[in-house]
Amino acid sequence: MLRLVALAALCASCAGLMGCSTMEMFQVRPWEREALARRDMAWDPDPLEAQLQSHIHFAKEASLAGSGAGGGGCGCN
Amino acid sequence: MRTRIPNPRASAVRALTLLAVLALAVTADAVQSGQKSPAVAGARLDGQGQLSLAELKGKVVYLDFWASWCKPCALSLPALDAFRKEFPSKDFAVLAVNVDRDPALAKAFLSRRPVGYPSVFDAKGELPVRFGVETMPTSFLIDRDGVIRRVHRGFRKEDVPELRSAIQELIRSGR
Repeated sequence: MLRLVALAALCASCAGLMGCSTMEMFQVRPWEREALARRDMAWDPDPLEAQLQSHIHFAKEASLAGSGAGGGGCGCN
Repeated sequence: MRTRIPNPRASAVRALTLLAVLALAVTADAVQSGQKSPAVAGARLDGQGQLSLAELKGKVVYLDFWASWCKPCALSLPALDAFRKEFPSKDFAVLAVNVDRDPALAKAFLSRRPVGYPSVFDAKGELPVRFGVETMPTSFLIDRDGVIRRVHRGFRKEDVPELRSAIQELIRSGR
C-alpha cells in the first residue's frame, strides 16, 4: 500500500513539473492576440486620462498616497 | 471467475508514459538558425492562387509573419518592401505570412501600407505553429538551400541596418 502511495506521489509530482508546459494548450499564442491587442483591452486605454486620474487620486487620498508613492496628504500637488 | 489484479508498477509506468507523451505533444520547439526551413504553402491573401516557399528555391528569402493588429508590423512591412526593392529579384525575395483571422483587416492594413511582395493567408495559424513563432512579428532569413540563417523576433527601426547587412552577406556568400 505504501509503495502504491509513493508511486501515486511520484506521478503527481511529475504532473506538477510539466504543469507549465501542459498549460500551453490553454494559453493564447502570440499570433492569436488579435482581441488582446485592441485598445479597449488595455488596462489603461487612455494613458493621459489614467495619469490625470492617478494624480487626482494621489491628491485626494491623503496619507494613502495614491498609487503607492510616498508622501502626500497636504493637497498641495 | 478470475479477476485481473492491476499491477501498481505497470500502471505507474503507463501513467508516466502518458504524461511524457502529453508534455511532448504540447511543446512546439521554435525553429532555430541552421535548421532546414519547414514548408510554407497556402492561399495568397490577395486571392490570386497559391504560393509556396519551394517556388523561391535558389533565392535568399526573408519570411515574415505579420498581422494587422501587430503594432511593430506597421514599421516592418515598409522596411521589408524597401529591402525587396534594394536587392535584385534574382537573388532575394520577401514572402509574408498573414495570421489575421479576418482577411478584410489584413487587406485594409495593406491598402494603407502597400507592399510589393505577396502574403500567404493563414487564419488557422498552422504555419506559426510549424515555425514555433514566439512573438509578433517574427521573421526568418532563409538561404538559397532552404536553411534558416537568422531568426528575428520583433521589429524596431534600429534593426534595419543589421538586417540589411545580414541579407547582403547571405547574397554575397552564394549560399
